[in-house]
This record gives sequence, C-alpha cells and structure tokens, in this order.
Amino acid sequence: MPAVLACCQALPGVPGLTKNDEPTVVYALGGREGFSSPLEAALKPACQALEFPGTVFRLGGGHQKILGGLAAEWQAGRPRYLIAGYTAPGLPEDYARSLSERRAQAVRQFLIEAGVEAASLQTVGFGFDSSPSSPTSGVVVIYRQ
Amino acid sequence: MPLAPLIVLLVLLPAAAATALTLPSWLVSGRARKQPVAAAALKKVQMGEFTGGTGGSSQRAVQAELESAHEFQITSGQAEFVISGASVGGRLTGRVMDSSGKRLLERTYAAPGLDENARAFADDVILAITGKPGLATSRIAFVSDKSGVRQVYLSDPEGREVFQVTHHRHGAVSPTLNSDASAVAYTSYRSGFPVVQWLDLGQGWERTVTDTSGSSFGAAFSPDGQRLAMVMSFLGNPEVFVTDLNTNTAACISDTTGVPGSPSWHPDGRQVIFSDDRGQGPALYVAEVPETNQSQASLVRWRTGYRFSTDPEFSPDGQSVAFTARSGGHLAVVVKGWPNGHARVIQAGGAAHPSWSPNGRYVCYTQHGVLYVHHLTSGHRRAILEKQGRISEPRWMK
Repeated sequence: MPAVLACCQALPGVPGLTKNDEPTVVYALGGREGFSSPLEAALKPACQALEFPGTVFRLGGGHQKILGGLAAEWQAGRPRYLIAGYTAPGLPEDYARSLSERRAQAVRQFLIEAGVEAASLQTVGFGFDSSPSSPTSGVVVIYRQ
Repeated sequence: MPLAPLIVLLVLLPAAAATALTLPSWLVSGRARKQPVAAAALKKVQMGEFTGGTGGSSQRAVQAELESAHEFQITSGQAEFVISGASVGGRLTGRVMDSSGKRLLERTYAAPGLDENARAFADDVILAITGKPGLATSRIAFVSDKSGVRQVYLSDPEGREVFQVTHHRHGAVSPTLNSDASAVAYTSYRSGFPVVQWLDLGQGWERTVTDTSGSSFGAAFSPDGQRLAMVMSFLGNPEVFVTDLNTNTAACISDTTGVPGSPSWHPDGRQVIFSDDRGQGPALYVAEVPETNQSQASLVRWRTGYRFSTDPEFSPDGQSVAFTARSGGHLAVVVKGWPNGHARVIQAGGAAHPSWSPNGRYVCYTQHGVLYVHHLTSGHRRAILEKQGRISEPRWMK
C-alpha cells in the first residue's frame, strides 16, 4: 500500500452501532496480489449468492447458515475467495459502492470468525458499476479463486 | 414535443402561460417557486467598440457569453460599465471601464480560437464586476455510459464541448476536478479492482493515488488541490480518509463501522462532509480535518430533516450544503443552510448528485440520466446534456 496510515483515532461523541452489533476485532485486509477480479476472468461462485434487501448490510440467519457451510468446506482445501458486493441500480452511486463493500466486509468478518484464514479472503464493492454484465440486484457473490 | 425546445419555451413564456402546460412530474421543480431574476438587481453594462478585423465577431461572442451568464443587463443607454476591445486574427484585447472612466480590467487573450478568447474575457469581466467567477471557462466532470462502459467525461457548462477523459476497459467512475480543472481524480477499474487515479489534464500523465485492498472511491479534491478525501476499505471496513498528495500519507476521519461515502470539502479546507449509514439509512456527518498527524479529528452529525441523505457538497461560500435526499420515495436535490437553515427541495422526482457552480448561483445534477444546470434564484433549469448515454455523478470545478 503506497499510503501510510498516519492517524485513525477514535472520535468521541458519535452515535454508532450498539455494542452488540460491533465486532470485537475488525480484521484489516491483506494484499490482493494473486486475486482475480470477476471483471477480468470467468470466476465460479463458491456458494449461492447472498441476497440483501434494501439498504441492509448486516447478516441474517440465512446468510450465516450458508456461510457456516462454506467455512466448514474451506477447511478441506483452504481455497481463496474473493467476496464481491453488488447493488441494484437506483441508489446514489457512491452510496451503492460503499454499501456493497460493507456487505462484502460483513461476510468476510463472519468467515474469519468461523475459522477461515483472513489471508484467504479479499473483498470488493462494485455497487452497480459493473452492470449489466454482473449481478443487478443487492447480492454478495463469493468467487472461488 | 422534444425535451430541449420545451425547456427553452418555459424560460421564455410568462409565468401564467408556463403553469398552464402539463409537464411530466420529473420536469417540474420541487417546492421551489420560480422567481424571475429582478432586472433592477443586475448591473447595467454597455458593449462599446471592438476594433480590428475580427472585432465585430469578438464583440458578438463576448456579448453572447455575458448574456448567457445572466449577470448583467446589457444596454445601449446609460451604463455602470463599458466593455470594449480590439481583435485581430481571433486574438483579443479586452477592457472594462466604469462610468467614471476608471479602467478595471485590460487583458490580452491569445488562445488559438476566437470563441475561447471571448469566453475567457467574459469570465474575467464577470469576476472584475461582480467579484464572483464566471462560468464560461469552467468545466463539469461526469460519468456516461454512452460508449457501452462507464467513462469519465468533461463538458463546459453549456454542453457544447464534451471530451472523453478516460478509456479504461472496465470503466472509470466517481470523478472530481481540482479548482482550476487542470487535474481530475477518479476511480478506475483498469485492473478489475477499484483504484483511485489522478490525471493531469494539461500534461496528460496519470498517477495511481491508491491501489489498496478492498475498494477505493469517492475522491474529492481539497480547495488547495493538495489533498484528496476518499473512501478506502483496507482496514476491514469502509472509512473516509484524507490523503496528502505530496507526502502519500492518509488520515482516517470517519470512525465508523457503517457505510460512509461521498466526502466533500468545506471551502476553508478544514472540514469534510460525508454521508454515513450506521444502520438507519445514510445521514450526513462533518469531520474537522486534523492539521497535524498528532491532533485528533472531531466529528458531528448534521441533521438534514431527511432519513436518507447522501452526496453532500458545500457551496463555494460555505454557507449552504446541497445533497441528495429521498423524498416521497424518490431521490431529490435539496439545499440547506449551513450550519443552520431552511432545507429547500430544488428538484424532486429522481434528481440526484448536486454540484455547485463556482459562483454558487447554480447547481448541476442528473435526473433520469440527463445533466441539468439549475439557476437557484429563478428556479429555471436547462438540460445541457441529453442523449449522451446515461449521465451520472456530475462534479463542477470550484
């Protein structure tokens, strides 16, 4: 990474998520060298796409069930996954990018807590920049690398 | 009836006749009432003599630019200012005198084209008389999918000169211009992943600002052009960072576990406003940018009165913020006084992504893929780019 993180400090007095919603540890991403983008290559999804309604970015029970199965599978071959978020058109573009990235990060966080090695996971949020060739609804797709 | 003639007609018709027409809902301004610009408020300007072989053409071109700016009442009678000049071969020397004969401006313009010189002179005339920058030489960056892939383009505010800036295979989005439109920063997908790049429009060279893991987008130039505010997610969740372009250092200013986006600078260069969804829809937050690496940023939520607010941008005088809100199930462009003031819907029915003109009198925005320029006092608006693919994310240089 070319940029050096100079300061990222806790800011007081900001209403945030409830304590129960905040992860205890947020895992920074490792380098993405060797990961392929679905824009560059035909990648195979590792499981069914995870659907998110509206502007929700937290994982539901259905998501956790699918991801639990994927985390168990990962132990066998330890593959690498690219977690890609998409949204439907209609949202403000920048918000759509951030929302799709945030959903992808929520999926990554769950997989790490379920035992998947952090270095095996990368995220990207496309919003609806890659439509119509990519998904055009609010989903997270986990691509096997 | 084609859209462009209809809009022109609306501007020319008296108010009573205009309201008699039935228009699509998205073509009608929101709650804002259209008000004619008071002629008495406009300064009177007289077009004096333009000598030389291309003097007549220059005079007409300058007058056309000044008329389209709606800053003056051009008269042949008694005037507060007289504009004159000389032009040979398209080169233009223009001057502005006040009624006492004092010379306010005299400058020579030697760009290759007469129109280019006329626009530059008109902008200088506006600045000399009103103290606010003219728009003729300003530029709007935007995204269009007309080539089949989203790319970044530049246009003048009339939509006459459109220039494709990027040609990336997987597209480029989220552009921002620096204050003199000599550089544009944007997010490109050149490697299949989003990276923020910086392009010098004069020299043509390109530089990668950040190619971090995760996503990078939403870049916004600081007023001095030395820093970029942007969203990066390499920490494990998206955050707003301020990156110093000279030192390649970055400071996080958002402290969120939500969905931050669309940072934009206050003209004083000390505050950044951005949207952040912490689970209840996107709201607006303002961060004080730390002056040193050791100092701590402060962050406050700014209540807009809307549960869904994104794409904020401070006006050039720092007195107002334009943003996208969700109103009645549709997106709308809203302007609200900063830090306190009345929120006014400028355009409802799917209008989004407002950006202020350099003089603060207009905002541009998109609605149904068309780029509009909207005069805030009169409420009149004009489609400056349509049938150019689906246009999104306009940013006017400041």
